[in-house]
This record gives sequence, structure tokens and C-alpha cells, in this order.
Amino acid sequence: MIKILHVEDDADIREIALMSLELSGEFDVLQCSSGQEAVAKAAAFAPDVFLLDMMMPGMTGRETLDNMRKDAQLGNVPAIFMTARAQHSEIEELFNNGAAEVIPKPFDPMALPEQIKLAMKKSA
Amino acid sequence: MRQPIDMQSSTALAIASGCGIAAAWYYLSKTVLLGPSAQVAPAFGAIALAATVPTLIMSKTAGNRSKTARSSMVQRLDAFEKHVCINIVDAAGNLTEVNEKLLELTGYDRSDLIGQPAALLYNDIDSEVAADIRANLHSGQSWEGETPLRRKDGREIFTQSTIMPLFDSAGKYVGSITARTDVSRTNELISERQTAKTLYELRDEIWIIDADTEEFSYLNRTAESRFDTSRGDYLDRSVGGLNKSEGTAEILAACRALVADGKSTSRFETVLMGSPVDVSIKFLTDAETSGRYLILISDISERVEQEKQKSSFISTVSHELRSPLTSIKGAMGLLLSKSAGELPDKATSLLEIAHRNADRLILIINDILDLDKMANGDIEIAMQSVDLSELVKEADQANAMLQQRYGVQVELTGTENPFPFNTDPNRLLQVLNNLISNAYKFSKPGGKIYLDVEDEGAWVRVSVTDEGQGIPHDETHKIFNRFSDMSNSDRASKGGTGLGLNICKAIVENMGGTIGFESTEGVGTKFFFCLPKAPKGSSGIEAPAARQSA
Repeated sequence: MIKILHVEDDADIREIALMSLELSGEFDVLQCSSGQEAVAKAAAFAPDVFLLDMMMPGMTGRETLDNMRKDAQLGNVPAIFMTARAQHSEIEELFNNGAAEVIPKPFDPMALPEQIKLAMKKSA
Repeated sequence: MRQPIDMQSSTALAIASGCGIAAAWYYLSKTVLLGPSAQVAPAFGAIALAATVPTLIMSKTAGNRSKTARSSMVQRLDAFEKHVCINIVDAAGNLTEVNEKLLELTGYDRSDLIGQPAALLYNDIDSEVAADIRANLHSGQSWEGETPLRRKDGREIFTQSTIMPLFDSAGKYVGSITARTDVSRTNELISERQTAKTLYELRDEIWIIDADTEEFSYLNRTAESRFDTSRGDYLDRSVGGLNKSEGTAEILAACRALVADGKSTSRFETVLMGSPVDVSIKFLTDAETSGRYLILISDISERVEQEKQKSSFISTVSHELRSPLTSIKGAMGLLLSKSAGELPDKATSLLEIAHRNADRLILIINDILDLDKMANGDIEIAMQSVDLSELVKEADQANAMLQQRYGVQVELTGTENPFPFNTDPNRLLQVLNNLISNAYKFSKPGGKIYLDVEDEGAWVRVSVTDEGQGIPHDETHKIFNRFSDMSNSDRASKGGTGLGLNICKAIVENMGGTIGFESTEGVGTKFFFCLPKAPKGSSGIEAPAARQSA
């Protein structure tokens, strides 16, 4: 099972992503509704991959990742961003800041598990 | 009858002459004099003239002056006669006397005027002014003001007039005498001065630069303020030689380019000393000099800020729409994949419609974002070396699933060999996908689509030809417009956003290319675009014209 920490402030999107990941039967999912919650729970969960919404109030996906990566144990966990701002320059910037993959919103829930596995393979 | 008024008129003539000269002095000196003298000289001069001229004239009539004094007086009267137009009318308003100056100014002969109504000399004098003059005269008062005078050839002259009533010994009104000076030129000077003053006070900047020396010859107030200079300081100094010059080099380069290209006007936006500005340049030529650049500069900071805010709003709204759409489309996708169990056929069919339209909504949002970026000149073009043949094949493959849906076959030509090309592959794919998917949508079942890549020397030409219904001849002009519907397109059922071709045009033009089409109704349509092999702006070769025909 792949341990995935999913951070998303929109409850509906969390539910769709959860259903998508659970249906594949390959993921152990921990969901957080904010960056702060994720930073608090990440170390204890020890995920194999982060799935982070980019635009969140309080702490953005990038800030959340930066904070989580302060923990040496989480320093090399691949991070996948989901963003509604899928502009070329923005995606480029995320890759330049250590993103393993950037999935634009709206995403295809049936393709999501494969996209995550592929990104993990690429960053391994 | 002239006899009874001879004495009266000679007295009145003297007084009117004095007043006329005084008025003329006052008016002209107010116009011409500047500085403190302009405050006092006109008034004192006018009073002095009004007081002395009638006395001099009367003394001539009385003959009680010495010969020297008489000679001096006659000279002055001659000068007065040469300067002022005089006419006398009787109580009925008919002209009884006119002087030479008036004849000279109006072009009439004396015989044209004497005995004729004074109205002959006026064009359309304002009825209120005419009534005001009449009321003044009948009540024994003089009238002063500006009146237009009609020349014999019909042209109009503006005169400053003093009109005085004439009375006989019994106090009966017998007519009037008018002294007037031509103020047409003075009015022109005033008008020119007012224009110059308006230009000087204009909110936009005006620069005039000598084309030969590239030195300033004029700056209005706003421009002086920008350069922190004044007239004495900037004259004959080069554009780059003032205290501030950041951004002026680009404007000067545009001026030079104007002359080099043989053009007379140009307009562009640039940044001048940190502020966005709109620059209009006009090259003025004359026989004496090598020309001048008239430059109008408008600060567009406010407009740019508003555009930024609008763009930010569109961007925010579009992105905010994506979040709920993620849930809507995601939920429908899961249902359609039977993740929540089997659905009745009718429910599946309805869900497919909803899912398809959610996709369409996403396309529209993406297109709106693209258009907004293009409108702001923010379109991202990331050029890199690619194989154009492979790119066209990739676009074909990306749309392959439409072959079955529309029952249409695709034929590629010119893609057999690698075609190294410098372009933005993502943007080019966007254009190709748009044209290819359109070709599918508008093809007839069993039809063919032809994808051609042609090497045209400095340019490459890519075309997408369908055998569809074609574009109605009278609708070809709007094909690249936003949200334009052809009468035979049925865009809604075909899933188009109405923005695709507009975006294609913007992308191709941004890459330095052209886009066009040829269409025959009932036969088919060929869309094509031409792109330069050399990067934008460095080919030096005129782009092929984008043809549009149907």
C-alpha cells in the first residue's frame, strides 16, 4: 500500500479524490483540510507521497511542502501538486521548486491513481 | 438732407474719431502688450486719445490754430483716416458717407454704398446685437463692440466698432456715425495664442524635436515638468542631454525609424521614466528645415492598472470556477465508471450529456483565460527545436478517436521526413488540435481530411482541409471573431466554444505568422497557417498574406 497524504481545503474534492484512490485499492490515504493540519500530522503518518492542493487559505501547497520538508524524514518524499492555475509558467515554477508532478484541475478521478504512481516512479 | 447735419456730423466725427482711435488703441494694446504695462497702458492711452483727438479735429474745423499746429493735426487726421474705417448713416439707416479706408477694406466703390442700407455692410449680425445698437443710439448713447463686416466679395472681416448717435439742433435723432478698425488679424493672433496656451496647458505631453539636430524646440508644461526643465533650459539641448532621459532613447529610435522607413506617423506603447505611456509620433516636413518630430505622450498608468485589475478578476473567476467543476466532473466521472454501482441506461445517457458539457465548460474557461492573456500581450511562447512532421502526426493521433465518431479518414502529406523547426510545440499543438477537431466536426460521414506540411523556403505552410459543408460566402468575414456562429455550424451540438479560431489566429500571429482559409460552400474548407522558419522578428521577409476566400 502506498501511504499518501492528501491536503485539500475543498471537502467535495477531498471526497472524490478519496473515492478514486480507495477504489484502486493501492493507497492508504490520510486527508487534511489545511496546510497547518498537514504539517502537524505528516511526521507521524510518514507518507510515501504528498498530494497537495496549491491554492489554500492560510498556507499554500508550496508553503505546506516547505514546512513539512523541514523534517528531515520527509525531505525526500515526492510531492504532487494539484492546481486550478494550470498556466505554463506556474507549472514550470512548481517543477523548479521540487514538484514530482503537477496535475491540473479539474482532474480525472479514474486516471488519478495511475498519475500518482507514474510520478512516484519518475522521481524514484 | 446732408446740410442740417454737416456741423453736427463734423463734431460727431471728431468725437467718434477720438473714441475710435481710443478704442482701437485699447483693444490692440491689450492684445499685444505683455507684463505690467498691459495693465495700465491700454486704459491711460485710450483716455488720452479720446480726450485729445476730438479737440484736434475740432480745432481744424475752427481754423484757430497756427499753421504748424494745423499741419500736425492734418497729419494726425491723415494717419487716423488711414487706420480707421468711418461711415455715416441717416435716420432711415442708409449710408450717407464712407471714408477711403472703408472702401479699401470692403472692396466697394463709393457709388456702391452711398444711399444704400447700411445692412449691405453686414453679414448676419446677431439680432440681439442689432437691437442693442438701436436701443443705445436712440437713447443717445454710443455702442462699442465687435461686428462682422461683409466685403464686396462676400468674405467676412471682424471689426471693433464705436457707433455714436447723431442729433440735429432740435435734438432729433438723424442718424449715426461708426468708426471701426479691422481686428481680423488680431483675432487670428488671439486665436493662435489661445491655441498655443491650450497646447501648453494640455494634460498630455507635447514634444517637438528637430529631426536634424535631435534637439528640443518645444515642450509643453507637462513635458517640462517631466524633464524638470523650463523653456530657457531645454531649447537647443539634445533629447538625452536633459536632467532626466530614461526611456527617451527608445522614442528617439522610433523617430529615426519613421524617417528611415519613409513613414510619417507611428504609435506605440513604452515605459518612460518608470511609467507606461502611449506615444504618437508625426514627422512634419517643410521646405526650410529637415523636419521636426511632433510627439504626443499620454500617461496610461491608470488604464494599465485597470486592465491589470480586470485581468486579475477574470483570472480569479476562471480559476474559482475550476474548483466546483472539479467536483462536478469528478463525481460524474466516478458514476460513469460505475464506481458507485450500475446505473440504468437512461441515467447513464443523461450523465454522459452532463459530463460532456462539463468538459465544454472547462474548455471555455481555458479559452477565456488564454484570450485574456493574449489581450494583455502575456501569451507565453516558449520556442524550441522540434520535428514539425512528428508534431503534426501527434496532433493527428490526439484526435484519432474522432475518426470513428465522425466516420472520417485522415491523409497526411509532407510529413514523411523529419522537418526540423523552431516553434512552441504546445501552442502549435493547440492550433493544430483546434483546426483538426473543427475539420472532423464539419466533415460529412465518409469524408476525408487532408493534413499537409509544405516547405516554402523561408516559411512553412501547414493546412487542414475538410470535405465538409464549407463556410457561407457572406459569413467569411467573421470566421476569426470571438463567439461567431456560422448559420450552418450548430456550434452547441458540435461542442465548440466559439473562441478556438480567434485563439489560433492570436497564437499564429504571435509567432510571426499568418492564418487564413479558402472555402467553397458544399465542397469543403481549407484552413492554413504560415510560420517563419527563422525566429519572429529576425526573418526580414514579408509574411505571406493571409487569404480569406469562399
